[in-house]
Amino acid sequence: MHLTILAFAQAQTQLGFRERVVECTAAESPRALLARIAPGFDPAGMRVALDCEYREWDAPIGGAAELALIPPVSGG
Amino acid sequence: MDSPAITFTPGPIVVPALVLASREVGACVEFLGIVREMEGSAPLAGLHYEAHEPMARLHLTRIFDELQTAHGSAGITFIHRLGWVPVGEASLFLRVLTVHRGPALRICADAIDRMKANVPIWKLHRSG
Repeated sequence: MHLTILAFAQAQTQLGFRERVVECTAAESPRALLARIAPGFDPAGMRVALDCEYREWDAPIGGAAELALIPPVSGG
Repeated sequence: MDSPAITFTPGPIVVPALVLASREVGACVEFLGIVREMEGSAPLAGLHYEAHEPMARLHLTRIFDELQTAHGSAGITFIHRLGWVPVGEASLFLRVLTVHRGPALRICADAIDRMKANVPIWKLHRSG
């Protein structure tokens, strides 16, 4: 299935892209997916969101269409 | 209970006119977050803001709904600037209307704390 990865702030700097569409399976976890497509990526301190909801790094991606990499937020 | 008004804007924040939805409103608390020159040890010219806007709207709406349910509110207006914001200009505006001042002050403080913890908005030290 297709999954759109969105990378913000430091995640964008690390990965070198803001948005990318990748192939994945519903059983794959965000951590495994990132390790596969960006082996040098360090998610320490970052959260992950699937379809705009925070999720665990090791939970299955399931039917999500979008995965967002959320570095520590700093609005205001 | 009115739905919160949430706006993201690339331009300067224009404080909206005060509209009272009810004659019971007795308190209006407004907060402006302003970009300051010194953040850390080096002077800044400004900050660059970015957001995951759909997710930010979803989580802000959830925060405001929870706070309105807990404390009661006659209206919330939230404006956050995106892109380059020079020193001295506002990056955030929040207005809370309630019957009494206590809930308005609590909602304002709690909403900003929760935004800073969970809402996907970032300030980046980047040139304009």
